[in-house]
Amino acid sequence: MSLKYIIITLFSLLLLEVSSLASSLKDSMSFGINSYNDNADVHVYSPTLSLFKKVSHSWMIGVKMRIDTISAASMQNGANAGHVDAVTSASSADSALYDDIRFAPTLMATYDDGDNMLSFGAYYSTEIDYTGQAGFINYVRQLNEQNTAVGIGFSQSFDKWNPVFDRVLPNENRNERKIDFSINQLITPKFSMQAVYSYMYSEGFLSSPYHYVLQDDIAKFENYPDTRSGHAFAIKGVYLLNNTNAMNFSYRYYADDWNIASHTVNVEELHDFSSKFMSGLRFRYYTQTKSNFVQEIGNYSLDDSYFATDYRMSAFDSYTIGIPFIYKRDNGDKVTASIDYYQTTENDYVKSWYGIDNISAVFTTLTYEFDY
Amino acid sequence: MIRIGLVLFTLFFMGCSEHLVRVMPYEKEYFSQDKMSLSPLGERAEQEGHIFLIREASAGGESAFQGGCGCR
Repeated sequence: MSLKYIIITLFSLLLLEVSSLASSLKDSMSFGINSYNDNADVHVYSPTLSLFKKVSHSWMIGVKMRIDTISAASMQNGANAGHVDAVTSASSADSALYDDIRFAPTLMATYDDGDNMLSFGAYYSTEIDYTGQAGFINYVRQLNEQNTAVGIGFSQSFDKWNPVFDRVLPNENRNERKIDFSINQLITPKFSMQAVYSYMYSEGFLSSPYHYVLQDDIAKFENYPDTRSGHAFAIKGVYLLNNTNAMNFSYRYYADDWNIASHTVNVEELHDFSSKFMSGLRFRYYTQTKSNFVQEIGNYSLDDSYFATDYRMSAFDSYTIGIPFIYKRDNGDKVTASIDYYQTTENDYVKSWYGIDNISAVFTTLTYEFDY
Repeated sequence: MIRIGLVLFTLFFMGCSEHLVRVMPYEKEYFSQDKMSLSPLGERAEQEGHIFLIREASAGGESAFQGGCGCR
């Protein structure tokens, strides 16, 4: 980047500062713990912490930290939860309380003058076999007396594989790019809608380094195409049914050049039980088609270019049902919590790899938020 | 597809028209309530975004950033 562009960028940011109007930025902090447990013997407990501090009328900096403590049979034997791993020869770590810790800090800065909001930052995560690093920037502009908000976002990641056993990957990088366009519109005093379009592009080693196809005459690691581009379009809305009830809904369509297409519907009803306590019920349905290179189990041949055994490359549906909670204290502090049950439909690939009919999971969040 | 998105985005960005002023400032009180947020629980949205990214083959449609991990 040339000096000219740096000067122009700094000058633009200065102008934004001078023209600042009514910023909604606040010094705030939150901490909590999330969990994820499924019947494929994956158990994740994640303490979270976020801290945001205003540094001027319109600028705020922040840090978010997430630590995933992961216990998974799949990590003890190299990915296959149900079988001794003959292909990877990975060793067991039965005696450890957890098999991996993933540290994932995000540093970010936000500018907000009431009509313009700009946020940007960097993300870094490290775990035993994977390093993730990314940058992101989002801009939102309020229009039409703050009835309309248009946004654009961009992120680029530069991730790297480092398999836990001695395997030389054809390409150890996985880079992903995402561009989002969003529009929010207030429709009535009780109804607002949002539309989001995302374009995603991935390149590099896009399969797992651990999954493999094992048939009578074939023992091959998974091999996917090394590029993938996808499009997603989502429409969301929230509608106030009456003074104490609101309905939140969304629909997303996704399609990519691996021929995977999916539909996702989410509906949530929220109810104020008092001025301090809110809860509700949510339901999510997801369905996807299979990729154009996955084959029926046992049908691969040595002439095939691609090998896939991960159920995510096959067709399946999933259901999620959950309960959210929000409790507000008198001093404005907020406790939020949620519990959700997730289940996929029966799937041959799940059966073959994990030795179970389908994936079922429970995930929870618990967070305490306050301004300081 | 991106070009169409950019054109639509530019049209909206340039101000559209006053027809989009549907709600006056004094009518916005409901939107300050937690239940009227498109994402009423931020931490849940972040966590489930990550879980669905790991457990399913689709992505996008969220105007938020999700960092990568090896579980995908």
